[in-house]
Amino acid sequence: MTSDARTERLPRLLPRRLPSFTGFFGNLLVLVVVAWLLTNLAKTPGDFFQILLFGLSLGAIYALVALGYTLVYGILELINFAHGDVFMFGGTISAVFILEVFSLGSHEHWYVLWPVVAGCVVISMLICGILNVLIEMVAYRPLRNAPRLAPLITAVGMSFILQDVVLGWRGPNYITVPTTLPRSNIFAVGGVTYRWDELIVLLVTVPLLLGLVYLVQKTKQGKAMRATAQDREAAAMMGINVNRTISFTFLVAGALAGAGGLIYVLWQTQVRFDSGFRLGLISFTAAVLGGIGNLPGAVLGAVLIGLIQAFNEGLSWSAPGSDWTQSIVFSILILILVFRPEGLLGEKTPEGQ
Amino acid sequence: MSDAAATTGPSATAGAGAASDILLSVEGIHSYYGAIHALKGVTLEVRQGEIVTLIGANGAGKSSTLRSINGLPSPKVRDGRIVFDGQEITHRPGHEIVKLGIAQSPEGRRLFPRMTVVENLEMGAFQRSDKSGLKEDLERVFSLFPRLAERKTQKAGTMSGGEQQMCAIGRALMARPKLVLLDEPSMGLAPIFVERIFETIVEINRQGTAVLLVEQNALMALDVASRGYVLEIGQVVLSGPAQDLRKDEKVRKAYLGE
Repeated sequence: MTSDARTERLPRLLPRRLPSFTGFFGNLLVLVVVAWLLTNLAKTPGDFFQILLFGLSLGAIYALVALGYTLVYGILELINFAHGDVFMFGGTISAVFILEVFSLGSHEHWYVLWPVVAGCVVISMLICGILNVLIEMVAYRPLRNAPRLAPLITAVGMSFILQDVVLGWRGPNYITVPTTLPRSNIFAVGGVTYRWDELIVLLVTVPLLLGLVYLVQKTKQGKAMRATAQDREAAAMMGINVNRTISFTFLVAGALAGAGGLIYVLWQTQVRFDSGFRLGLISFTAAVLGGIGNLPGAVLGAVLIGLIQAFNEGLSWSAPGSDWTQSIVFSILILILVFRPEGLLGEKTPEGQ
Repeated sequence: MSDAAATTGPSATAGAGAASDILLSVEGIHSYYGAIHALKGVTLEVRQGEIVTLIGANGAGKSSTLRSINGLPSPKVRDGRIVFDGQEITHRPGHEIVKLGIAQSPEGRRLFPRMTVVENLEMGAFQRSDKSGLKEDLERVFSLFPRLAERKTQKAGTMSGGEQQMCAIGRALMARPKLVLLDEPSMGLAPIFVERIFETIVEINRQGTAVLLVEQNALMALDVASRGYVLEIGQVVLSGPAQDLRKDEKVRKAYLGE
C-alpha cells in the first residue's frame, strides 16, 4: 500500500519540482549577469552607456534578420536556414551597387549620399524579397506535405548554394566599401560619445519594424498572414489564397533581410560570402530567445543579443571578450531550447509541440 | 413531391425540381486521401433556399464530402463532377470557390485562436471588398448571435465551445454565401446551445441562404431539413424528404436510436 502511494505521488511531484530547480539556476544566472553589469556601470559609466547605445544598433540589425526567421517559422513551421545568406546576398548586392554602379566615395555630400542609400535600400529589399520568394517556390513548396526534415535539409542546401554563388561571383575576400556614413559624434557627454552612423542604423531600422507591425496587424494581407499561420486550412476555407500568402510572407522576410544587408554593409563597410552564416545563426538565436513565431519576441531577443554581444566585447571588467561571443550566444540558444523552448514572449499552446 | 417515398441507391435524387433552381449538384464524386478511397461515388444536390442534411456514422464520409465541395487540397477528387450555380467547380482552388458563394463552418470550429472575434469575422469576408456591406453583415451576425457582440475584442481561442461555434457560423455567413456548409455545428455543445444553434440555422435559411448540414444529431437535423441523405462508407445509401427519412425503419434504428 505504501509503494502504491509513492508511485502515485511521484508523477505529481516531478513536474512541480523541476521548474523551480531550473528556475533557481536561471534566476541565479540572471543575477550574476546583472551584478556584473552593475559593477561595470560603477567602474566605467561612460563606457557602459556608449556600449549600450552601440548594442542597440547592433540589435536593430539582428532584429531585421530575426524577424525573417520568425515570420517564416510562424507560417510554415520551417526554420529557413538560407535566411542568413539572403541577408548576405543583400549586403553583397548593395556593396556592388555602391562600388560599381554609383561609385560612392567616402565623405560624399549628403545630397549624393542619401538618394544613393535610399535607392540601394529599395534595390536590395526588392532583390532579396524576390530571391526569398523563389527559394520558397523551388525548395520548400514542393515539400509542403513532406516530413518536416525534408525542407530543413533543402534549406541548408539553399544556404550553401547562395554562399557558393557569391563566392564564385566575388571571390573569397571581403568586399570593402568606403566609409560613407558620417562617423562624427552627435554628442560627447561625460565620456559617452554617440556617433552618427549608429543613429542612422536605428533611423533606418525602426521605421521598417514599425511598418512591419502595421502591415501584420492592420492590413488585409497581414491579417491573412496571421490567419494562415494560425490555421492554414481554415484560412483556405475563408477564401484566403494560401500559396500567395506564403509567398508574400517570404517577400516581406526577404525584403527585411535585404534592408539589413545594406545597413550592415554601410555600417561595417565589408561583407563576404560567409557573412550571413554567423549573423544568421545569431539572429536565429535571437528569434528563439524571444519566442520563435512571435514578432515582438524576435525584436526583443535581437536587442538582448545585440546588447549581450556589445557588453561582452566592450566592457573592461571581467568581460569574456569577443573570442567568447559565439560561445555565449549559442549557450543561450541551448539553454533556451532546453529550459524555455517557448522563448521569453512565446506562449505555451496546448496544441504546440 | 408529396408522394415521394424514401428511395434507396446512390443515384437516387429525391423529388423533381426544375434544373434552374438547383444550386449545388455533386455528381458521383470519388475522393481520395492518398491511397485511401474515402468517397465512392457520392451524388447529392442542394436547391435554392433549402436545408439539406447529410447524416451518417463516424467515418462515413460526411466531412470529406464537404471538404471536396470546398476545394480543399485533401481529399483529392479524382472522378465525378461538382457543379455550383451553373459552373463546374470540381478542381477549382478553395479561395475561388469561396468567392463563387460557398462558405463553410468546419468541424471542430477551427477559429483563428489568437485573433479577436471581430478579426475572425472579418476573415470570413476576406474575398469581399465592399466596406459598407461588410459592416451591415457584421451587424447581421451580431443580431443573430448577441453573445458575440459582447465579446468583439476577445481572443476567439479563449471563448467557450458554444460561443466559438457561434463565431464559426458567423464567420461563414460573413462571406455572404449562397450556400453555407455546416459541419457538426452541435458537436460538444451543451443542450441549450444546441437548441440555439439549430434555431439560428433555420433563421439563416429563412433569410435566404441554402444550408448543407452535416450532423451526428440526426434527429434535430431531420427536424430542420427539408431533405436528407444518408451516407455509409463513402456512399449515399438512402435519400429523400426529411419526414420520410425520419419514418424509415433503418434510419430510426441506426441513427435515431429508436
